[in-house]
Amino acid sequence: MKRRGLSLADLLTYATLALALFVFLAPVLWMLITAVKPAEEWLTSPPVFIPSELHWQNFADALFKWGGLKGLGDSLIVAAGSTVLSLLLGVPAAYSLGRFRTGGDNLSFMILSILFMPPVAVAIPMYLLWSSVGLLDSYTALILQYTVFNVPFISWVLKSFFEDIPRDMEDSAVVNGATRWRAFWEIAVPLARPAILAVALLAFIFSWNEFFFAVILSRAEVTTLPFILPTLMEGHDVLWGDIAAIATLGALPVIALAFALQRYLVRGLSFGTLRE
Amino acid sequence: MTATAPAFTGRRRQRRVAEAHLGWWMIAPVLIVLAANSIFPLVYAVFVSFHNFQLLIPVPHRFVGFANYARIFRDALFWSSLEVTLWFIAGVVFLQFPAGFGLALLLHRLRRRQDLLVTLFLVPTIIAPSVAAFQWAQLYNYQFGPLNYILGLFHLGRPTWTADPQLALPALVFVDFWEWTPFMTLLLFAGLRSLPQNIVDAARVDGSTACQVAWRIYLPLLRPVIGIALVLRILMSVKLFDIIYVLTAGGPGTVTENLAYFTYIEGFRYFNLGYACALAILQLIAVSLLAKLLIRMTRRPGVAHVIPAGGAA
Repeated sequence: MKRRGLSLADLLTYATLALALFVFLAPVLWMLITAVKPAEEWLTSPPVFIPSELHWQNFADALFKWGGLKGLGDSLIVAAGSTVLSLLLGVPAAYSLGRFRTGGDNLSFMILSILFMPPVAVAIPMYLLWSSVGLLDSYTALILQYTVFNVPFISWVLKSFFEDIPRDMEDSAVVNGATRWRAFWEIAVPLARPAILAVALLAFIFSWNEFFFAVILSRAEVTTLPFILPTLMEGHDVLWGDIAAIATLGALPVIALAFALQRYLVRGLSFGTLRE
Repeated sequence: MTATAPAFTGRRRQRRVAEAHLGWWMIAPVLIVLAANSIFPLVYAVFVSFHNFQLLIPVPHRFVGFANYARIFRDALFWSSLEVTLWFIAGVVFLQFPAGFGLALLLHRLRRRQDLLVTLFLVPTIIAPSVAAFQWAQLYNYQFGPLNYILGLFHLGRPTWTADPQLALPALVFVDFWEWTPFMTLLLFAGLRSLPQNIVDAARVDGSTACQVAWRIYLPLLRPVIGIALVLRILMSVKLFDIIYVLTAGGPGTVTENLAYFTYIEGFRYFNLGYACALAILQLIAVSLLAKLLIRMTRRPGVAHVIPAGGAA
């Protein structure tokens, strides 16, 4: 009963999807428009929908006047640092859980449950801990804090992946004299590369975007982009264009990464429960 | 899994023991980091929750037993913040799920460009929540926002959105909807794609309409995926903090203060650490129960059946 050609149902499908796409992208578009508006057009009624010129000065102000450059750098250091550390810790752990069933179901459940722990539950002790060792407002604190949430995610997704890789190849390598560690490093890890890329992408995006711990652990030294944004929105003279430029700087790298690594994004976001 | 060998030879047993050792070595660093950064803080939070622990008052911390917990249930702000949290959960179940499922079905109908569209839809989900909140602060702006401008064109009034006690919570629930419905769509769409096509074709041949196929075939077959998606999103909505912080700071008054934000205010604005920790522990217990449910659902045999490893690409 499959009909070819453009039926009414097809038309409705396209129309609804187009409308939905508009709803979900319009706010992003509005941010991009504001980011290139000259100052006179930020606060007008009726609002200016098409800027009279492309005012790139907003980005210069965002970068050099409002700490955007420092924000970009700090976001990059924290996100990259936490992603690398999380992979170093999480990949061997996932292999251990998946291949050797270390600690049985209880251990993997325990590690996974940390992923769902509400951040407020540990916020106060962590705040007291970091301040008592003088690491409040430091890269170390944020990197470690994000790693705590990235590692359970990575372990869970990769565990099921390692379980699916047949162990014959590793076993025969071991029989032929390789160490177990080499079998892991030279056989299992290369096979798992797409899944590792997927979780790395998600860990990076999570750390780049994280807000709650940034608010609690940061003051003036380490200011990631999500942390800077609301501080600029306080007060009466809200500099919409400049803030929009900073917000754009925060959003574009993530969007670019997502499009470049589309396939991996879908796999990672579905938490490994869905495999494509 | 492959323990069908009749007897362990000495060498085999030796290898097993060596593997177990290596297994623990490979996971030890994770256990140390997690112990230091989550087990220790949790234990400490429990300890603090049994004490009268206030940073601003320089009295020695006094053991108060369950007093902090008892106070929670007498606190009107706790009940109102619980209600706000429940509204966000209702938004997940009654708005995000139906819309996400509808969009997933529509995407599934497309024959081309599915991946590109999914990624485009995902933009609200992957950008930073504070960036998203900023975008909505602009849209909701009373005087200069495009939303009020468009409403004005149709003479529909000029709501103050996040400053209006009646509208503030719905406005935030909508931002959450906007941010996370695409995520719901992604999970359900991936689930749809992994269904065996022949079942659907068989139903079509029977003369079922698209609605019947969706209702009688997709919905039951996708039940495990739907369960996972709902529980994941509910767990995430319980810890919602960012858009409240940026858009309303819990206001006007306390009408948009959810449990997470209320706990944050008690702990980091009023420094009632004992009370805040008791609140946090209570949420942790509730969330762990939910998480347990989630894991049970992912283990259900149905999941492996519906989602074959390396299934339809």
